[in-house]
Amino acid sequence: MNRREAIQRAALLLGVAITPSILQGVLRAQTPAAGAKPQFLTAAQFATASAVAERILPRTDTPGAIDVGVPAFIDLMAGKYMTDAERRTFTAGLAEVEAKSAAAHQAAFGKLPAAQQDALLTAMAEAAQPKRGTFFHQIKELTILGYFTSEPVGRNVTHYDPIPGRYQGCIPLAEVGNRAWTRN
Amino acid sequence: MANIQGAGTKQNTYDAIVVGSGISGGWAAKELTEKGLKTLVLERGRDVKHGDYPTAMKDSWEFEGRTKPALADVAKQQKQNRTGYTTHPATAHWFVNDLENPYSEDKPFDWMRGYHVGGRSLTWGRQSYRFSDLDFEANAKDGVAVDWPIRYADIAPWYDYAERFAGINGNRDGLAQLPDGQFLPPMEMNCLETQVRDRIKSSFGGRAMIIGRSANLTQPHNGRGNCQFRNRCSRGCPYGAYFSSNAATLPAAYATGNLTLRPFSIVNGLIYDKDKGRATGVRVIDAETNEVIEFHAKVIFLCASAIASTFILLNSKSDRFPNGLGNDSGELGHNLMDHHFKVGATGLSDEFADRYYRGHRPNGIYIPRFRNIDKASTRKDYLRGFGYQGSASRADWTLGIKELSLFGGKLKADLIAPGPWRMGIGSWGECLPYHANKLYLNTAVRDKWGQPTVTFDCGWKENELAMRKDMKQSAIEMLEAAGLKNVTGFDDVGASNPGNCIHEMGTARMGRDPKTSVLNKWNQVHTAPNVFVTDGACMTSNACVNPSLTYMALTARAADHAVGELKKQNL
Repeated sequence: MNRREAIQRAALLLGVAITPSILQGVLRAQTPAAGAKPQFLTAAQFATASAVAERILPRTDTPGAIDVGVPAFIDLMAGKYMTDAERRTFTAGLAEVEAKSAAAHQAAFGKLPAAQQDALLTAMAEAAQPKRGTFFHQIKELTILGYFTSEPVGRNVTHYDPIPGRYQGCIPLAEVGNRAWTRN
Repeated sequence: MANIQGAGTKQNTYDAIVVGSGISGGWAAKELTEKGLKTLVLERGRDVKHGDYPTAMKDSWEFEGRTKPALADVAKQQKQNRTGYTTHPATAHWFVNDLENPYSEDKPFDWMRGYHVGGRSLTWGRQSYRFSDLDFEANAKDGVAVDWPIRYADIAPWYDYAERFAGINGNRDGLAQLPDGQFLPPMEMNCLETQVRDRIKSSFGGRAMIIGRSANLTQPHNGRGNCQFRNRCSRGCPYGAYFSSNAATLPAAYATGNLTLRPFSIVNGLIYDKDKGRATGVRVIDAETNEVIEFHAKVIFLCASAIASTFILLNSKSDRFPNGLGNDSGELGHNLMDHHFKVGATGLSDEFADRYYRGHRPNGIYIPRFRNIDKASTRKDYLRGFGYQGSASRADWTLGIKELSLFGGKLKADLIAPGPWRMGIGSWGECLPYHANKLYLNTAVRDKWGQPTVTFDCGWKENELAMRKDMKQSAIEMLEAAGLKNVTGFDDVGASNPGNCIHEMGTARMGRDPKTSVLNKWNQVHTAPNVFVTDGACMTSNACVNPSLTYMALTARAADHAVGELKKQNL
């Protein structure tokens, strides 16, 4: 059943008709802008954030962070959802990634081989773990949040069932293919 | 029944006026109109028709910030934001703009308000439990505050009546402290919940853990659709599958042809006639035009929510009532209560790795009160008791945010699959009614319409704090006895200010004696008997269970009494 059909089924079950505004909202597809230009970050900051996000959730047999538009989400968060103090922490962290990359490898973080990127990020994660609200906390949260609340992941990677219609409390996991339900 | 008070007021005269359209106001509207009264419902906010729920069908990616509110939006809801969930982009439009609706705090009080038709009936938690005589007798037995003027037998038939219309799912569990009701079929527990239930029962001498009783329809009911297990309830349900004024009581009231609903109508005060000893109407400020209009009726139901109804009474000053209408006792505004919560425990299970569940259940489990219910369970360190709400689930991707050192393809695969089973239980505790816990009018801070505002002076005291220790410890004990691993207790008392639980009660309490209470046993103001207050303001104590079902029952009971008294020409 596709989404339009699901909505139509929902409408049939309603005591009242779905208003046009709901329907419009439902059917408006938002395409994540992979490779989009940043609105708020500089091009250099955006490139660093994209490369870090892609190492946190890289492309494998399922899409990676860049595939599903995580960089654009991070850019939006930095622009409209972070306080000034949070944004300062975040942009300083992006600069630190590049500084470490330059010091160790004389190259931009995005140009490093994956193994070198991962080593650099592991060191940052270990330094950040006991603290709170560091750059690494920020980018880890935004990458995972941006990834799992994106349309491509919500529809096709995790198990999408916006109108389950029933609740079964204990079923074999195999019935749903070892995939978590998409958050509703 | 039209009450003609001269040509000028005829068009503004009704048989009954109901102030507020939330759970209590919706019930008052339904009952009074069905009994033939031409009824005016005054709602201070905008109209919301059933189905007019703009976020109900939206997926996470259809919100600009996904699950996060933008800074510019949070700036308008600094106090509403204190719950941590109300300002989520899916529901923020159901909560007020704090800049336009200020209040003051001598001590922190988190006042969550929904100014629109339906009020907080759209966003309530839907847990629906009956009070028992354990609750109605408590004040008298403990020598606390004043005695309730009613007992369980007075309200039991009205619980039946309210449940039959609203549609409450649940199991008949046969517990004296949590009476059974007229239930729709219960929801299911999941694998881990069932195991924890059985182990708590065997480890603690039969202690009950039951499936929650909630106002979600587990089958079609009274023309409303059954639950689709989306768990998006607080956005408004297009199926009408949970009880709200918008989906249930207001449509019933409209169907009678006797309902007039006026949005954007802020009730500033009641008009009192000293000679008649009655309120003759209400003074309204039109929220959009600032025009002041008077409406008249024989009967007035204040259902504006505990704080707002009390505000209206306090702001209704006259020669007869210099301290607020009906306030001879000096108790108006006092005895403010809420449940204290955000204390409990969590744990993990390494069982059921090959099991899962289908659907998003808008309900959890409930562990009914087990302290101070009989001689054997009597505590020396505090009065009253608490219950737990909670649920088990498999962790999802949010788990991956916490562990910073994990990243890469393996992390992603782990987060796509269901995570480990875990269970959390959180406790809701009774709060004693203290005269010192109060709100009062603040004439120095005025709202957008020039009205006084309210200031809160309310805090938890020794009894609540002693109870919290047991609330945490008992949670740990139960989860450990149930075999969970990594059991961790929590007590976020700092995040549980009064108000945060959104169960404000008291401030115009019922009682037997006009010298010590504001309302009588029918929710009538002792000294203005055509004024009924049937929302949380009327509560003489607050038990430990969620209160809305009790407001429904009390409101239907009071409306029945009001119409009977009108027929006898007593009002």
